[in-house]
Amino acid sequence: MKEMLKKLVAQNSAQDNSYVELRYHKRQSNSFMAQRGRVDVANHSLVEGIGVRALIDGAWGFAATARVDEASVLRAIEQARRNALTIVAGRGKKVANLQKGKMAVVDWTGPGFAELLAMPIADKLGAVINFERQLAKSSKALHTARCRYNELLEEKIIVTSDGAAASARIALPEFSMSAIAEKDGERATSSRGAGVSGGWTCLYNHPALDNMVEETARTAVDLLSAKHPDGGKKTVILAPAVVGLLCHEAIGHTVEADFVKTGSVAQGKIGTIVASKLVTMADTGCETIAGYAVGNLPFDDEGVETETTTIIKDGVLVSYLHNRESAAEFGVAPTGNARAWLFNDEPLIRMRNTFLQPGTSKLADMISEIDDGYLVEGAGSGQADSNGEFMFGTGYVWQIKDGKKTELLREATLSGIAFDVLQTVDAVSSEFRWDLGTGYCGKGQPAKVDAGGPYIRCKMNVGGRQG
Amino acid sequence: MKPDVKSGIRSGNQSGATKQPTGDTAAALRKTAAEMETLAHEILEHGIKKGADRIKVGTSGSITRRLVVENKEVSLANSLEDQKFSLLVHKDQKKGSATTNIVRPESIRKGVEDALALASFSVADPALNMPDVAAAPKAKPLDFMFDERTADTTLAEIQELMGQALARATQDKRVAIDKFEMSVSTSFHAIYNSLGVAQSELQTMIGWSFFGMGVDGDAVSGFDYDSGFAWKTGDTAERLMATAESFAAKVTGNLHPRKANSYKGLVVFSPRAVEELLTGFMLYHASGSAVMDGKSRWHEEVGNRVVSPVITLRDQPHNPAFAGVTTFDGDGMPTRDHVIFDSGKLCMHLHDCYSAKRCHTTSNHMSGGPFGMSLAPGGSLLADLLRSRREILLVDRFSGNTDAIKGDFSGVAKSSRLYVDGKDSGAVTETMIAGNFFEFAKKIEAASLETEAVGGSFTSPWLLVDGISVTGG
Repeated sequence: MKEMLKKLVAQNSAQDNSYVELRYHKRQSNSFMAQRGRVDVANHSLVEGIGVRALIDGAWGFAATARVDEASVLRAIEQARRNALTIVAGRGKKVANLQKGKMAVVDWTGPGFAELLAMPIADKLGAVINFERQLAKSSKALHTARCRYNELLEEKIIVTSDGAAASARIALPEFSMSAIAEKDGERATSSRGAGVSGGWTCLYNHPALDNMVEETARTAVDLLSAKHPDGGKKTVILAPAVVGLLCHEAIGHTVEADFVKTGSVAQGKIGTIVASKLVTMADTGCETIAGYAVGNLPFDDEGVETETTTIIKDGVLVSYLHNRESAAEFGVAPTGNARAWLFNDEPLIRMRNTFLQPGTSKLADMISEIDDGYLVEGAGSGQADSNGEFMFGTGYVWQIKDGKKTELLREATLSGIAFDVLQTVDAVSSEFRWDLGTGYCGKGQPAKVDAGGPYIRCKMNVGGRQG
Repeated sequence: MKPDVKSGIRSGNQSGATKQPTGDTAAALRKTAAEMETLAHEILEHGIKKGADRIKVGTSGSITRRLVVENKEVSLANSLEDQKFSLLVHKDQKKGSATTNIVRPESIRKGVEDALALASFSVADPALNMPDVAAAPKAKPLDFMFDERTADTTLAEIQELMGQALARATQDKRVAIDKFEMSVSTSFHAIYNSLGVAQSELQTMIGWSFFGMGVDGDAVSGFDYDSGFAWKTGDTAERLMATAESFAAKVTGNLHPRKANSYKGLVVFSPRAVEELLTGFMLYHASGSAVMDGKSRWHEEVGNRVVSPVITLRDQPHNPAFAGVTTFDGDGMPTRDHVIFDSGKLCMHLHDCYSAKRCHTTSNHMSGGPFGMSLAPGGSLLADLLRSRREILLVDRFSGNTDAIKGDFSGVAKSSRLYVDGKDSGAVTETMIAGNFFEFAKKIEAASLETEAVGGSFTSPWLLVDGISVTGG
């Protein structure tokens, strides 16, 4: 396949010295979900195709084909070229050039790919059914037990007319379980989950899945009698999953160069102090802290090798996240952040693994220094805004009183203005964890991302009830 | 068309090299649909031969032309052709499914075998069933859903419309558009099963969406969005311009927000907030799946008043006002109009064939539904609702967490505004709202006379709601 793509790229870019990019993508996925003794989902999916981008006279054309024979790809190339020509006259400002990055020429197979491909499907489905049964039996207070497994086996080949010719095979399994407890008509929900770039063994060794059956059941039951936290501006300690969500939602989106160009709150702030000195934050496609973060990619969907991009260094904003076009516009090197969900999606600027660097504090000390506050565990969904206002949900909250972790409270919603909140960070722990591997980022297309970090202490709004 | 310097977009036909094919897009898609139908019937036979007790084959395909504008420039022209097979098999009261976009007989047959393998490892479920042709007769097509002329709309025509809309949206220089997309899509989808059910429909649709914010010097508003659709080219321009104006008003209105005071009590939900905070909870607890799993609080409440008498909610799957209309549901059953809530009373649970069998009742053809919902207007003017409290929050969007089972919600009131003595005193920032659906659903005090469409799938009035906690920043 790669040789065919190289031949077609060479033929078609030579016509008029235009840029042509071919991206083959095959995705096999298996999805299983069991609840209440049933198997509600047992699905296998296979999707394959080639996406074509052509840059002619400063305008982009895109086309895609699910037929991967040479004639069909040639037709798609022609269509992409016609599309570019359709809009070329209408553009006031041309795409000047694409910034040359480290163009990938690797053939890469990620950890766990062979393991997951070889593993019998019956074993995977069987594990989901068994975990659901274990969870259901773990407490008489449980109304519903649910387990879900999903795996993506990705195969990509990217060839560009300016030097990329690379392939990658990546395994992305994820597992989650949730429980609904019930007592006297009151219900509470708890969930645990993990996702990795790796195989079956790697997935089940993820620290988030330690004692997952017992922890999921116990938290759901305990939350039945838990109160809501009080609303207002509070001192909070955020757990790694919540820190990851903060990094991704509240900062990460605002430094994506396409949002920056439109006018996000990060526009014009390179070199300025945006956070406490304790804050160093990065986005990486090649993390080595644990080696299994879901956003690990050898190259992005423009064929640029990925790297670790430091966004905030010691509180100072130092970089945005770029594709090749925005990098040229900003006069910097591309950061390997162009990603497409499927062959028929065009690459967009997306995050990979976004994280805060660990510090030197200990969680126990951070708790002991708080008179009245919360320890926030478990990330829910989150959203951020162009002005830096963010919101995210949390799994549950521990009250901290007089330096001690006391009562379990129900889930809360946290919000604030991102850079304002980061200015209030006064402690960063040495403990670190990737903990958002079951997450999908939505920005027109889905993307598998990861995020994490240490525990941090800061001030933000906690949504609660008014008397 | 004259060059539109303001928007940066000009008609794309100036080069002369770019005329899109004016051939019959619909004919091409009909040909694909016919080929996939033939293949689907072969697959039904193959599945039964391989041991399936029942098999359902879904086919779909589309031809889409799409333009993307970023920062006032057309950034991408896109042409996509897509096909998909989805297969569901039942064997020995177990199920397995498979999907693929590889439209080759050997790939689809392999998909059937994969689905059968999954079923063999699954758990038996006596409630699995599929409708037969007597239960699911051929649905009558809806003429408005398809238009030959619209199917042949070219990228250049889309570009011209976008240029006009962009100029309209950016008349106010404070409007910053991150992304503006427009597409014309011709598509079909069909369902065939081994009990003789055969349903198919063809549709054309022009759709558009704006996403961006307001920027005024150093002040940046929150993101906002707006979208719309039309079934025909001829209906597009007027609706598109209306969306452009509505979007511009939203993002500029979000600029220079103030902090709200904390209180618990009355707020006004906009139609968008109604969709996010009211109908989501209502439909969850009315759904057949929640009823069959004992998760619904309304499992024995059909015929009883469960929400405020202000609420009457209909599903109209054949109403052209809604983009989600369809003549048949996900099981292949012909769709029909329903009143789901009438003056606060729950009229029905929403059942597909599976949940119906588990609940010992019959499907009301709601697999994948509702398809086009409308909440009935009330008798109050919006302006009067906004005078119900000296300081009242108008919640336009909700960004936060909801717990469907408990009914709890907590999150940020986005694009929302504070009214003081009935007068708009501007957008609010860092304002959170929280409450419980089961508490506030009975305290919906009034609905406005005015209604608004939300994204093509829902129309609603504004609602005056009590019992909401507002936490100011």
